[in-house]
Amino acid sequence: MSLQIDRALLGQEFERVVIGPVTAEEILEYIAATAEIAAPAAGADLVAPPTFVVRARGNLFKPPRLGEIQLGFDAGKDIEFGVPIRPGDVLTSLATVHDIYEKTGRSGSMSFIVLRTVVTNQREELVAVVDQRMMYR
Amino acid sequence: MVEQLDFDHVDVGHELCPLRLTLTGEQVARYAHAARLQAGRFMSDDGARREGLPGQIAPGNMSLALFSRLIGQSFPGMRLRHLSATFRVPLQPRQRITVRGVVTEKHVSDQGSFLDCDLVLESEEGERWVTGTARVALPPPCTAASRG
Repeated sequence: MSLQIDRALLGQEFERVVIGPVTAEEILEYIAATAEIAAPAAGADLVAPPTFVVRARGNLFKPPRLGEIQLGFDAGKDIEFGVPIRPGDVLTSLATVHDIYEKTGRSGSMSFIVLRTVVTNQREELVAVVDQRMMYR
Repeated sequence: MVEQLDFDHVDVGHELCPLRLTLTGEQVARYAHAARLQAGRFMSDDGARREGLPGQIAPGNMSLALFSRLIGQSFPGMRLRHLSATFRVPLQPRQRITVRGVVTEKHVSDQGSFLDCDLVLESEEGERWVTGTARVALPPPCTAASRG
């Protein structure tokens, strides 16, 4: 059975949050947890690892107007990176419903909602565009 | 020790030196905390069971970090421009995993030198749990002029 979703939701902003200022401690904690980049030498210019940007999001995992559908699972992400994140940056994260589509697989019909989060910094530079594909059955 | 490559010395089809690791439950919880993803399923087996899962799982975003780590270790000085991942099977701690990459495209434009890579995170049995792609900007190729 296909999921009935109001396509008028497409493109609508459903959450906007401001995060930061980002601290050096947060970046160092992320580096220590991932080893994504080498730990910087003392006094070196500190830049966050690329995927640090996934922290820049709000608390809603779906638009409130989606109503009663059960939360699905995270099927994947696409990230387009802009300028890097540094300590002191204040990030604004704006979430919209970017796409809604269905796929039919061996286990039946699956509905996908692509939630797009655009992250900018205090200079209004683009930090990243993060598309998260959520799957619902 | 991971090999370090530059644009001039890598060809399409080149396989990156894989990362082989086994995540502990503590490492997953530490990542979840650092990434502001503190749902019970990411923090412990008990937390996962309270959410109806058999045991702790890693956030999908942790796979992205592992992909980025592989790329970063292989191409020093690179800048990641695009990264994607499809989460096929939840990544679980205490399982031996391998993160692999292969160069699929190589091109130079006014914007710089770029490599595209296919990425995969697989189980010890070779089951593909996460697949992905990356586009990497590298320092421009050495030229006679730039070599001085």
